[in-house]
Amino acid sequence: MGSDMTEQAIASARAGQADAPQGSARLYTLALLVDDRQGAVDRVVNVLRRRRANMRTLVVGPSEEAGVARVTVVVDDAEVGVEHLSEQLRKIVDVRQVLLFPAGRAIERELALVKVNCTAANRSEIIELGQHFGAQAVDLAPETLTLQVTGKGEQVEQLLERLQPYGIRELARSGCLAIARDE
Amino acid sequence: MTTTATVTQESGDARRASAHATDEARELAGSHILCEALVREGVELLYGYPGGAIMPFYDALPAYPRLHHVLVRHEQAAAHAADGYARATGKVGVCVATSGPGATNLVTGLATAYMDSTPVVAITGQVGRPFIGRDAFQETDVLGLTLPITKHNFLVRHVEELADVVHEAFQLARSGRPGPVLVDVPKDVQFAKTVYRPAASVRSIELYRATRVPQPAPEAIQQAARLIAQARRPVIMSGHGIILSNAYAELRALAEKTNIPVITTLLGLSAFPVDHPLFLGMPGMHGPAFVNRAIGVTDLIIGVGLRFDDRVTGKVSEFAPQAQIIHIDIDPSELNKVKPAVVPILADAKAALAALVEAVEPGNHQGWLSELRQWEAEEQERARRLSRPVPYPTPTDILDAIYEVTDGEATVVSDVGQHQMWTARFYKWTRPNSHITSGGLGTMGFALPAAMGVKMGRPEATVWVVAGDGGFQMNIQELATLRDEGVEIKVAIMNNGYLGMVRQWQEFFHQRNYSETPISSPDYVKLAEAYGLTGMRVERREDVQAAVQQAMQTPGTVIIDFAIEAEANVYPMVPPGAAITDMIIERE
Ligand SMILES: Cc1ncc(C[n+]2csc(CCOP(=O)(O)OP(=O)(O)O)c2C)c(N)n1
Ligand SMILES: [Mg+2]
Repeated sequence: MGSDMTEQAIASARAGQADAPQGSARLYTLALLVDDRQGAVDRVVNVLRRRRANMRTLVVGPSEEAGVARVTVVVDDAEVGVEHLSEQLRKIVDVRQVLLFPAGRAIERELALVKVNCTAANRSEIIELGQHFGAQAVDLAPETLTLQVTGKGEQVEQLLERLQPYGIRELARSGCLAIARDE
Repeated sequence: MTTTATVTQESGDARRASAHATDEARELAGSHILCEALVREGVELLYGYPGGAIMPFYDALPAYPRLHHVLVRHEQAAAHAADGYARATGKVGVCVATSGPGATNLVTGLATAYMDSTPVVAITGQVGRPFIGRDAFQETDVLGLTLPITKHNFLVRHVEELADVVHEAFQLARSGRPGPVLVDVPKDVQFAKTVYRPAASVRSIELYRATRVPQPAPEAIQQAARLIAQARRPVIMSGHGIILSNAYAELRALAEKTNIPVITTLLGLSAFPVDHPLFLGMPGMHGPAFVNRAIGVTDLIIGVGLRFDDRVTGKVSEFAPQAQIIHIDIDPSELNKVKPAVVPILADAKAALAALVEAVEPGNHQGWLSELRQWEAEEQERARRLSRPVPYPTPTDILDAIYEVTDGEATVVSDVGQHQMWTARFYKWTRPNSHITSGGLGTMGFALPAAMGVKMGRPEATVWVVAGDGGFQMNIQELATLRDEGVEIKVAIMNNGYLGMVRQWQEFFHQRNYSETPISSPDYVKLAEAYGLTGMRVERREDVQAAVQQAMQTPGTVIIDFAIEAEANVYPMVPPGAAITDMIIERE
């Protein structure tokens, strides 16, 4: 998403936002509670696109309340931009609540399924490596092995980096989910 | 435009169906429920155009004589007319179209209403539910198309929710920051029957969310009052929000109590009388130089109901470099969007201004004011030096004549281009909400259909259109509608034979390469005649006043084709992207 935006366009978009210093983009996680009605998610995505938010991940799923979906989106932008974005999102009639978590302020988790090449010789080595990251082997085949890992985005990244030498055949990542930390 | 129903014995059905008749629950088709709901919303006027997917609604319509339907000649005009009606009355304007091309024709009008925050409800027919998503004949994803240009939109899923959806649409359109709302009604939903309970309430959560209008925070008001007391060169900048919230008296009271001069944006014009000693003018791209100069040195901007649009601010980083900003707006997403506000006040303009008037101490800024008037006088003196005697009508001749002949009572609807800027700058706006124009989207073709809505919403008003020869030809077909409806508006075409505003940009920024900007016109006198209306052509300056007078005395819609100078420019001009204090002024 937003990949069609040139660097220049991003820079000028930011320049148009009050007080957003250039090159200061950071990651933010937004959790939205939206009425599970037709078009509700479209509207959210549309506002994100329209307001030039650079979406890293987007997750839609149920919430604790029937008929209310939870949309979790990770965007990068400078602070004022994100606050403006949340206000724009709050204006959507289907949106009940917008929670804005600056990076690291919430409990953030991601799930990944990684299919790696393996041989009889290195299979247990890979499983062990996975265990080190809390990953489970969820499928074993003669030439491949599928690991399931959950954790913070960085943890997932680290495991992937370590698996790279074996050859990653396929990768499915859920995108980030977030929930507020109780004090 | 009669709204009294004459229900005969034969049309007993109609009487039963009419909302005045009964509040009893009864079985009705969706098409009738739609009409019932519109009647309950107090709708009296609809602008629309029939077609396959909306036919059941049109079949029911004659049973509701309270709903006066105006058959426009193009759906775009239906949306603009509903918008004009809404701007003039503050009530929700309604337009109707069929699926596919009917709905896509509404798009420009809805986008125009969205940008200028006006309450419009659009009802579109949609193909039957079984056909949706199958590329059926005249099927368009209207919800998807209008998503970014409506405040909200609905696809009605079943007839049981239809009435609720319509009421919710009206509520949303007029609440908070107003805007257009679209209701897409599949054809089979219009046919389907259900028990209609007129008194049933609308879903409460949505209503609550839509109507929450925050009260101005007392601490913010106190803080604003302190800044106002300290400011040495303050200005008030007011926008469309004053008109939308009917805050004329409060604005005036604040200005007078604090002795602070008032700048109004394009859409804020007519919210503050231009002959008031505290009125300054319009800011930005085509504002007078002294107004932009004032913004350049002001130390406090009290911004009310405006969004600091780029045509107002010019280069944002150089806008009002010395100013602190108090920003009052009903839409939280406008606060800090363009310029950070020291005191953001989330509230309706009327409430916030009333609270501010209470909180502030009387002020005196005579020194600052006389400095400003000095700059203004120099600018006017320069303009006088530059003015040459010309044989043809000038924009100011035309605008002054309209003002004088109508005793300042006219509502003036302008189109988009040079004539729009001249109208904004040189008409004497003395009556609240007498200036109507497409500001945010700048939609050529807006004025004629919008003026129809204005006049039908304010039948007692004198309505003048000021249009260019380009834009007038964009919705010229509505002359037929005006004629059919017997709606009387007066039209002044400032005919320069060019898409003037674009030509001006070509002159300034494209080395006079007048690519595709010369434009021809029909003979407007004959054209008016062909439509059964009256047309005149004025080529000499001395004939302007008499022509305007004659137009006022001639019943029905009258078009005056004023041959103005071909290559006149709007001065001053801030080049796009430049600081507003860097203006192009007329060469001596
Ligand atoms: C629908 C639409 N198309 C194009 C434009 C771009 N545009 C802005 S002003 C203008 C020229 C308008 O010409 P005219 O109506 O003759 O008015 P003038 O500027 O000559 O007074 C044009 C083409 C627009 N604003 N709207
Ligand atoms: Mg022209």
